[in-house]
Amino acid sequence: MRPFQMNLTFTATEGKSRGFYILLTILAAFAIAGFFCFITSYVRGHQVLGTSNVVPWGMPIVIAIYLIGLSAGSLILSSLTYVFGKEEYRPISRIAVFLAIVLIFGAMVAIALDLGRPEKSWRLFMFFVLNNMRSMFAINGILYGGYFVISSVYLGLILAEKSKPTRIMGILAIFWAVLVHMGTGAIFGFIAARPVFYSPVKPFEFIAAAMVSGLALLTIVVVFVFKFTKRTFDNRIIFSLSKLLLALIVTLFVIVLIDKLTHLYPPHREPVIWLITGPYSWIFWGLQLGCAYILPLILLFHPRFGKTTKGVIGAAFLVVVGIFGERFALVIPGTAHPLPYYPGKIEGIWGAAGSFLFTPIETLMSLGMFALMGLFFILGLRYLDLLPVNESGDENPAQGKGG
Amino acid sequence: MVIDLDKCVGCQACTIACKSENNVPHGSPEEQGLRREIYWNKVIAVTNGRYPRVNTQLIPMPCMHCDHAPCVTVCPAKATYRREDGVIVQDFRRCIGCKYCIVACPYGARSFNSKEQDEKEYHRPDLPPDRSVWGMWPFPTRTHGVVEKCTFCFHRIDQGMKEGKRIGKDVVPACVEDCPASARSFGDLDDTGSEVSRLISSRGWVRLREGLDTKAKVYYLPK
Repeated sequence: MRPFQMNLTFTATEGKSRGFYILLTILAAFAIAGFFCFITSYVRGHQVLGTSNVVPWGMPIVIAIYLIGLSAGSLILSSLTYVFGKEEYRPISRIAVFLAIVLIFGAMVAIALDLGRPEKSWRLFMFFVLNNMRSMFAINGILYGGYFVISSVYLGLILAEKSKPTRIMGILAIFWAVLVHMGTGAIFGFIAARPVFYSPVKPFEFIAAAMVSGLALLTIVVVFVFKFTKRTFDNRIIFSLSKLLLALIVTLFVIVLIDKLTHLYPPHREPVIWLITGPYSWIFWGLQLGCAYILPLILLFHPRFGKTTKGVIGAAFLVVVGIFGERFALVIPGTAHPLPYYPGKIEGIWGAAGSFLFTPIETLMSLGMFALMGLFFILGLRYLDLLPVNESGDENPAQGKGG
Repeated sequence: MVIDLDKCVGCQACTIACKSENNVPHGSPEEQGLRREIYWNKVIAVTNGRYPRVNTQLIPMPCMHCDHAPCVTVCPAKATYRREDGVIVQDFRRCIGCKYCIVACPYGARSFNSKEQDEKEYHRPDLPPDRSVWGMWPFPTRTHGVVEKCTFCFHRIDQGMKEGKRIGKDVVPACVEDCPASARSFGDLDDTGSEVSRLISSRGWVRLREGLDTKAKVYYLPK
């Protein structure tokens, strides 16, 4: 085992500047607004949201699987330092682990907000007693709960700088993160009634998407945090990460291609054809294919842009937006296509494709979730030793994106 | 349950009977358009062919009460389960409202209750008081945030069994009772002497979406 190199010390941000407090206030305001929107949806029922009996899952589920992906990806990347001993990534690995914890917390909040009766969600955790362990959702309850505990212990060990237990915990954390996201994919992949979901490839597609989006988000967050706190940053990290990003995007692209191609063959073609040609096709072509795969690949392969920080950050930003589109294209058009109850054309509302309405309450609730995570993230930077010690002058802590 | 498509006239009496028997919340036309109205039973019209050679079939669809029910498999909270007699029931007190069952059901038989019910003066003096207050049925005041579905009127069946009545003859679900064309028959599929067994042995039958191997227990006798 490689020993820890102790020449790198970590610290918290000062958190005394005006920018920090302004950001804190804005995020807190959004989080509180989101909380009130949740209370409204809880009291008045889900009629205030955009979901219906055709599209039962809305933005909170889109956001939840997106965040679980980002979290799993981020945690797996932290293992580059703590398990595989790649020392060049050490400055960003603490942030990666902390980001993973914040994101999984956000995902749990998102799932809870989507439940019709969130006060009964304790039933999900009564494993083998009150819940049905054949349900993928119940199995994922074990995975998410365990993930939260494991990643928290992992961060604790890293902050305490105990190298040997960290490595063991790191190995456990990678396996668990892979399981968590494959389990999330299985929630969708095992549903035979929805041909867009139904695929054995789904868990693998999810884990690839998790790695891609987690890496992209980590790149963005690290660059912004280091820039706003005026820390010097070794650009070589960015370029080695961009090579990894490139490989992962290609992997994801191939898996998605296989998934969609198998669905274009009979027997259940219509929903997938509807997805790629119907009213939601712009999300599939524009966001999923364009933003998540093709444009970043062009940027990263480009002889000039691929070699600049701006080009890599641009590609990472496109990926983060595009993977959100991928989740949206899965959850909402995946259920919106009418079910073929009987051969022939079903007349009236029962044969019409569902649509998803963006309501103000749901949108504000979604923004509130992101704001809550941003809040936890900057408070984490303020109170935990996550960033490497600044060698170059003034502390000016304030940072943009939290998640 | 056996539904004779030859007799169905598409009058929707089964839908209305179900709504009034089970106190299923009403919805406005806007809510129906948004697909937020709760239907335990629906009647779909399926058109095949083109004018002038066209054929529209009317298919009444209650919950299919599948033997291999996807909704029971996916429900994390055991809110949906299969009773001993094969009826798939939904316990509103256990349901957490995750909507996974709506996604998994291949028949669209499930609806989410997305608002507080308007009128609460629902009185069923014919039901025994213990059931109407503490039992899982009939929920005189309904709660929003849970998923609902057809129960094959199991409160009627249980009551009839207790009183020693013949199920399928003296006691039937509300939709079967109210069908003006007697298109629906209800009974024990395992009992070779029952009306439903006689019907499905006398004619060819179909079950919806056989390809998914749900082993639905609603049989249709085609035209």
